[in-house]
Amino acid sequence: MAKKKVKKEEKPGVILKPEEYSIIGKPFPRVDARAKVTGEAKFAADIEMPDMLWGALKRSPYAHARILHIDTAKAERLPGVKAVITGKDFGGFKWGWSRETRDEEPLATTKVRYLYEGVAAVAAIDEDIAQEACELIEVEYESLPGVFDPFEAMEEGAPLVHDDRLGNICVEYHWDFGDVEKGFAESYLVQEDTFQTPRMAKGYIEPPAIVAYWTDATHLTVHAAKGSPYFSYRILSNCFQLPLSNVRVIQPFIGSDFGGTKNDMVNGDFAATMLAKTAGKPVKIVYTQFDELTTCLRRHPMWITIKTGVTQDGKLKAIQTKVISDGGAYTRMSPLSNYLTGACMTLPYQLPNFKTDIYCYFTNNPSSAAMRGHGVYHTRFAGDVQMDMMAEKLGIDPVEIRLRNAIKNPKPGKLYETISKLHLATCGVEECIEKAAEAINWKEKKKKKRVEGFKAYGVGVAAGTFLSGAKLSGHNACAAIVRICEDGSVNLMTGATDVGQGSDSIMCALTAETLGIRLEDIDLKRVDTAHTPVDPGTYGSRVTVLAGEATVNAAKDAKRQLLEIAAKEFGVKPEEMEIKNKKAFVKTKPEMNISWERLVRMACYTTPGMVVIGKGQSTRGISVYGLTDFSSGTGDFGTNYSFTAQIQEVEVDMETGLVRCTDNSVIAHDCGFPLNPPAVDTQVVGGAYHPGVGAALYCEFKMDKGLTVNPNLVDYKLPRAYEAPMTEVIHVITNDPFGPFGAKEASEGSTCTAAPAVINALHDATGIWIKELPAKPEKVYWALKEKRSNK
Amino acid sequence: MKGEPKELRFTVNGKLHELQVKPKALLSDVLRKDLKLTGTKRGCLESTCGVCTVILDGKAVRSCSILALQANGHQVTTIEGLAQGDKLHPIQEAFINHGAVECGFCIPGRVMMAKALLDENPDPSREEVRLAMQGILCADSGYVKQIEAVEIAAGKMRGGE
Amino acid sequence: MKDFEYFAPKTVEESLSFLSQYKEESKIIAGGQSMLVIMRQGLLAPENVVDIKGITALNYITYDEKEGLRIGALTTHRAIEKSPIIQKHFGVLSEMERNLATIQTRNWGTIGGNLCHGDPAGDPAPVFIALDAKLKLRSLSGERIITMEEFSKDMLEVDLGPDEMLIEIQVPPPRLHTGIAHEKLMVMQGDAGIVGAAVSITLKPEDSVCEDARIVLSNSASVPLRVREAEKRLIGKVISSHLLAEVGEVASAEADPPSDLHASAEYRREMVKVFVTRAAAKALERAKIG
Repeated sequence: MAKKKVKKEEKPGVILKPEEYSIIGKPFPRVDARAKVTGEAKFAADIEMPDMLWGALKRSPYAHARILHIDTAKAERLPGVKAVITGKDFGGFKWGWSRETRDEEPLATTKVRYLYEGVAAVAAIDEDIAQEACELIEVEYESLPGVFDPFEAMEEGAPLVHDDRLGNICVEYHWDFGDVEKGFAESYLVQEDTFQTPRMAKGYIEPPAIVAYWTDATHLTVHAAKGSPYFSYRILSNCFQLPLSNVRVIQPFIGSDFGGTKNDMVNGDFAATMLAKTAGKPVKIVYTQFDELTTCLRRHPMWITIKTGVTQDGKLKAIQTKVISDGGAYTRMSPLSNYLTGACMTLPYQLPNFKTDIYCYFTNNPSSAAMRGHGVYHTRFAGDVQMDMMAEKLGIDPVEIRLRNAIKNPKPGKLYETISKLHLATCGVEECIEKAAEAINWKEKKKKKRVEGFKAYGVGVAAGTFLSGAKLSGHNACAAIVRICEDGSVNLMTGATDVGQGSDSIMCALTAETLGIRLEDIDLKRVDTAHTPVDPGTYGSRVTVLAGEATVNAAKDAKRQLLEIAAKEFGVKPEEMEIKNKKAFVKTKPEMNISWERLVRMACYTTPGMVVIGKGQSTRGISVYGLTDFSSGTGDFGTNYSFTAQIQEVEVDMETGLVRCTDNSVIAHDCGFPLNPPAVDTQVVGGAYHPGVGAALYCEFKMDKGLTVNPNLVDYKLPRAYEAPMTEVIHVITNDPFGPFGAKEASEGSTCTAAPAVINALHDATGIWIKELPAKPEKVYWALKEKRSNK
Repeated sequence: MKGEPKELRFTVNGKLHELQVKPKALLSDVLRKDLKLTGTKRGCLESTCGVCTVILDGKAVRSCSILALQANGHQVTTIEGLAQGDKLHPIQEAFINHGAVECGFCIPGRVMMAKALLDENPDPSREEVRLAMQGILCADSGYVKQIEAVEIAAGKMRGGE
Repeated sequence: MKDFEYFAPKTVEESLSFLSQYKEESKIIAGGQSMLVIMRQGLLAPENVVDIKGITALNYITYDEKEGLRIGALTTHRAIEKSPIIQKHFGVLSEMERNLATIQTRNWGTIGGNLCHGDPAGDPAPVFIALDAKLKLRSLSGERIITMEEFSKDMLEVDLGPDEMLIEIQVPPPRLHTGIAHEKLMVMQGDAGIVGAAVSITLKPEDSVCEDARIVLSNSASVPLRVREAEKRLIGKVISSHLLAEVGEVASAEADPPSDLHASAEYRREMVKVFVTRAAAKALERAKIG
């Protein structure tokens, strides 16, 4: 039975028109909005337990050093201190994002590899005493020379961050599709440029926080701000040698994650859990923004050299890239981040030949990892700016050149295959580009140069893509449970985590739509690994597509059980019945119906011991076309792919170099089918502004031999409200057969288009090309001056 | 004596409180820990993010940047004091209905800032709304819906649609 | 933050008593918007904190046509920004405040606290110098009046004794045919200026010759810097845009700006030219109007 269902889904199924949906496709408020606007929603730092202790971390003052000796005696003697631990207490445990990359310790034991890495921790009756005790811990270090960027790291004879990792190489990939040399030889214009993307903070405003306690010697519970609680549950299970069933990770409300630290573990997580074990009381550790900005995961800074060949009418013949990135002290997610720099280069344009060499280096900086637009944004920035550079040389309009290269939307039932064996059932990028250009009146804006006093204006376009429903090797299981209570109310249990992107609301809406009842009838149980089924977590834009699929399947399962009862009652087959507006009815004779509540009661009381529990899982988590092969770069790592086109106008102060986005801003986004249009809008706009415009104009960690020079949110400029463009969002609907109700991911695409759109607009206004982000005023000023003196 | 607790007597959400607090205690600590009003968030702790914003004597202030004892004799309103029982404030409703709530971490501070703005200036310009929102960081929304939600709430409060 | 002894005087005399008793061992806190940040970072750990925020007697804005403007030291930035008196007679102060930090900071932070912090990147001091303001300081031994310019000694250092308090800022009544403007380079609204310029220009009504000029820079030296050579270039001349550009160059040469993570000294010098010219052009326009 199940296999047949899967096969049916493969073909573009019957997709209802939006008017036929009750909830999906229309605006609906988030199910948790009320709790958030009243202050009732509890985040990890808000959680208090009786007898709770506060934890604090002892951090290394060196970026690279051997730990010779730790003396905790004085700390232990301080009144109010209940537990002191060091790295040795973890018995040699190491962890990492995948089995092959377990190179990090809960607290450092023999060596520290980045400044402020945790080496010990204290639990005490209040925060002050805990911090005072940390100061009393005496650590003897032997400072070691370090490497602080990939170019130092790659030098012959450079100090090694990990003794067993020669050349400081964290990961490297070499892929070759088609024949790029032939492609270049056949090109009319070949150009090579190097671009640079900045080291960035994830930018979430809620710092990591955890409350941990043991209910007995073998049962651990944590409340933690975790975007992927099941990662933590597995890692803690390994760390403390507990069966998974004994590890309980309970998810409070989470203040965003963006694929970063809250997806992963921090020193504080291990410290809190071990301290709680040692002290026999709950322990809370709350990071400050200073902790976050100095020790937590960053977006990789990358150096991208891109060589492109095009025909005389601007069609791509070949692209070759070399990517160098700074992975920081530990492997973490770098294999995936770096893989993604190449994986999406064969989208959104038709590309016959592609070659890439990708190198990620260890350095003595805090580790780098995922961030919205993961990996893809770096090379998309390089590719889309260079495309404009080449279009200008060829005398082709930037919108026109993109239309010439855009992958066309496959006909229903057909798939487009890229040279790297990615498969698209839908691709709306052409329509996105056209609609964006129309909405902003591109032709008019390009005709006349607008200058007002010392202010010059320009528009820039970019197109991009992002994977949706990430499918990775390793554990991909994703399930949901729909439990129908005897009074007709419904519990939804999913392992999917809402970090603010609104997945809880979407899961409830998918459940209600499938069951034919109201959104208000669904009560979602937030993730609690003791009760909710497993789910890989919130990353790779997978939740709507994959957890959504699981949820729909669970709801269908519950619905099937109910319809079997109803069908028996009416003497028809279950497939002849439907449920809508809380009524189950025979499709051809709607007067034969029964209310939802009555049907549920009937089902629950008919057979002794019957409970209506629907179980569903995602089948797409396992690749339909073969597992992604990281070493060759082939295969689908997404279930489907979203597409975006963005056009942004900028205002440039020609005397100072200050660049501002104006309100002439539009994003056309193909997310298959927007399940909740206003929610998609906000996500798309936010995705473009914070990590996208942030990278283009504002955000950059300044480092000095491992020291973060600007570890606060004023010196590290996070994008703010005054400068935010009032962006218009246009939905391009392609109804993807591989997503629930036709949906694909929303908004990571716009994280990739914002930076190139802004930089292209800057060029349009001023004639300069800024290839190293961010385009801060001083950088723009000197570029303008140089251009004037070259004239 | 250094650190000796002193008396703090102030009104929070209309209720009078008398506490003994250490001089170095921040207003946000007292609200969250002593009064268990965790709706006001603990963010950067270095006066940059604004999620700790509350209203003191009608003015929006960062509670992490005020010594608790400075609130002596003053009136403080937090997010918990906004709704009247089950009835939400128009600003809260506008944020929900206009889709301006995402992860929610900046929302209590932002809503209180919006309240202070609209109480002082019932018909703010777009520029004035932006200036008010400038003091609270968001990492996710792009600010557009939030700015619009404040304007919608202003319209409702003025007796509009 | 370390523990401290805490006093909350309700009058100026009470406060001066504490300062006189504890002198260097004590620190005044007003709004704390500058001080709490550095205390939380552990860079400042006073034994005794004298909290003067509750001294309502120092919270006032008064104006008299003969005496001019008097602002109590504990007046908040926001009160200055919104004051009808200030908007009418000293609009540049309101404009400057509107661009200072965020609303929350301005609602609680005081003008006195800002000036006593002595940050050369701060906005109020240059504007007060351009306005030819004076400060009234008081200790148990008596009062003294010094100019705003004399008050700034060095980076984060002002001419305020350990037993003294700033009482009020005194601004002379506006002169006729005088225009004052403040401009700064902000990447984001509310940022400290990468550089800033406050300029006051007074014209002779009969021939529009510049009679007096003050040009004061922020974030261009270790103190708010009056660039006197630049000012001299304007005096006795009819101001053209060409002259303004020249004045900008002279001001830039006088400046000694820092290099930091936000900008290099070289860029700051270039920006001094731009912002002196812009502020001076605006001041000139205002002077012509009245």
